[in-house]
Amino acid sequence: MEITLTDWQLLLVKLAVILAVVPTLTLVAGYAEHKVMAHLQHRLGPMYPGGFHGWAILLADGLKFIYKEDIIPAAADKRVFKLAPIAIFIPAVMVYLVIPLDRTLIVEDLDVGVFYLLAISSVSTIGVLMAGWSSANKYALIGALRAGAQLIAYELPIVLSAAVIVMLAGTMSLVGIVEAQPWPFILWPPGIGLIAFLVFMGASVAELTRPPFDMPVAESEIITGAFTEYSGMRFIFGFFFAEVANMVAFAAIGATLFLGGFNPIVPWSPLDAIPGFVWFVLKASFLLFVFLWIRPTFPRLREDQLQKFAWKFLIPVSLVLILAAGAWVLYAPEALKP
Amino acid sequence: MSLDERRLYKARKLGLGLGLVKGLAVTLKHLFKHNTVIQYPEEKQDLGPRTRGVIALKEENCTVCMLCARECPDWCIYIDSHKETLPPKREGGRPRKRNVLDRFAIDYALCMYCGICVEVCPYDALFWSREFEYAEYDIRELTHEKERLSDWMSTVLPPPPLDEGAEQPGRPAPLVAANGGPAAIAAETPAAPAAIAPAAAPEAPAAKPAAGATTPASAPTMAPEGAGEVDQDRLPPAPSPTTEAPAPEAEAPALTPEDKAAFTEQPGPNVEVPHEEPHPISLEPTEDAEAVYRSVLEEQKAKGSSPQVAEARARVARAKAERGIQRGPTPLAVDKPVPSAPTKGHTEPEPSGAPDAEAPRPDPGPVAPTPTEAEAAPPTEAPADGSSETPDQVYERVLADEKAKGSSDAVATGRAKAARVKAERAQGKS
Repeated sequence: MEITLTDWQLLLVKLAVILAVVPTLTLVAGYAEHKVMAHLQHRLGPMYPGGFHGWAILLADGLKFIYKEDIIPAAADKRVFKLAPIAIFIPAVMVYLVIPLDRTLIVEDLDVGVFYLLAISSVSTIGVLMAGWSSANKYALIGALRAGAQLIAYELPIVLSAAVIVMLAGTMSLVGIVEAQPWPFILWPPGIGLIAFLVFMGASVAELTRPPFDMPVAESEIITGAFTEYSGMRFIFGFFFAEVANMVAFAAIGATLFLGGFNPIVPWSPLDAIPGFVWFVLKASFLLFVFLWIRPTFPRLREDQLQKFAWKFLIPVSLVLILAAGAWVLYAPEALKP
Repeated sequence: MSLDERRLYKARKLGLGLGLVKGLAVTLKHLFKHNTVIQYPEEKQDLGPRTRGVIALKEENCTVCMLCARECPDWCIYIDSHKETLPPKREGGRPRKRNVLDRFAIDYALCMYCGICVEVCPYDALFWSREFEYAEYDIRELTHEKERLSDWMSTVLPPPPLDEGAEQPGRPAPLVAANGGPAAIAAETPAAPAAIAPAAAPEAPAAKPAAGATTPASAPTMAPEGAGEVDQDRLPPAPSPTTEAPAPEAEAPALTPEDKAAFTEQPGPNVEVPHEEPHPISLEPTEDAEAVYRSVLEEQKAKGSSPQVAEARARVARAKAERGIQRGPTPLAVDKPVPSAPTKGHTEPEPSGAPDAEAPRPDPGPVAPTPTEAEAAPPTEAPADGSSETPDQVYERVLADEKAKGSSDAVATGRAKAARVKAERAQGKS
């Protein structure tokens, strides 16, 4: 039986799927963060909520935040203050629209997929700035400006390293990029892919404002930065939820751009039997683990070190990479290209 | 830029972020190490044996001496008591008083777990327990009364074994009946009974405890009898025939609960509690003293005792053997049929005749209630039971006895007077 759906119905179904999948993924990733960090530190992490190894800890947390009082400072710019979490939350969900779980398992395979991704993920910066400005709080303001400076600084290396991949693949469609990747994914072309991957990962950590690049929310200096004045649901959606959702999204983007997405890790025919999304999930989980692994490993940098690292190291490196990628595309012998 | 700084700079330049990889490797390594978390309510840590969890009270050991309450820096120990007068233990004795514990409470909301109370308690009435789960919702509940403190006793661990080579704590001297009461307690201190040395013995063989009490300074170097008693279970059986009557297993250490119970119960019948009948020990010295000395020495050396210890033990054994030879059967025959066990140290070995304060008073006062004492009350002074002597007659008789024994005048008169008083009392009662 063939199901025919109108465009609107299709859109609604896709929306429902995204709205179901994204929070689930976020909860799973948040739980993983609790557990991985705990075990890296010889702890157990949550053990009680839900009975089995505290699986329901984030549900309990969310419930708690729902019950909390929603406090808006008297001096705050109320409309902007209320809008800011939404401005942060919606881009975090929209990123998932173009990520291909499998060759066909994708909400919308845009021709300008990479462009869309990078554009959307930058929008949340505006939400952070809104939150900081409207809070009428000096910590929030400093945090917002730090976040703004940091996201601008690290958006560049991400864009440039993604551009390297786009140049090599010759397309901006994410499915196209995955299909165009030759087998040893980031290892080919030699050097360029690997360095681009490292630049991308480093910049992603900063983009996510996670330790060691979490100056915008450095609690020892500026409390929670732009989110100082937020409480209850606004806090959880604007701050925690968006961070974890973005982290999952960046792990997925990294897996797509650099690790061959839904392709098996080795081109061996029996492995083709395993559905592509399994490979994709495995690769994305690995990158997610790397994000979680970095957090308890490194101490927080200073603000100027952070800026120096971006402008004096990552951006020059990625510019050189673009030159190298261009040279590769133009002058490499055809035999070396896939 | 100092050398160190330059080196550091160079290392950073060349490191290319390898330090970051190293850091990641470290954390990754720890991911696979076993965690150290103890999930408390389900799992419990094995706390050390000396954990200061809660203080337990062994109520029957408490004498209300108040030391703990006074030493407590927080003043969190509350003690109430009253005095009770008990009837005299035997005919003609003085009524005795004792403290009865009414309340013993520790306020754990104030307690800072310094343990000073446990340290100072001279009677082993306070102990540390490892239990610590006694949090309360109401601060007043943290004041544990004596019932609750006594309940904690069941959680107190036995004392840990002594360290290798540690000095064995002396067992309290037995409450030796045949030794005569006054010396029994003194025997706890090593110097006191030393006068049993052969040197002193010939003079007054039966008077040894008193002599010991009077001449502590002149104590010979010989190992004290108290120590000998303590070590008895480690000594070979050979010298045992000559040791004092109550074998170590028969006596209870001073001030154990049973003992206290013996004190606190009715005067008369209590005597059977702590002490068994003294063993009828054969008094014939089985070997001559030197042979005992040598055999004990050999045995000790074979056991690996240090030369000093071996020698000391051997000397103790020899001394005992000699004593047994010299003394003959009398002092040890505490069997009931021999109530005349000579004078329980009342004789005065010192011819000096000086009114020595240490001379045991005829008053029965001794701390240790023993069967012999109770039944065969001081034989010198009170054969009064059943006899028709008047008190004055008793006085005369005792006086004559004492003088015949060579007691000083003062002592003789004193004892005679005491005997008369007793006789009077006995008369009054009957």
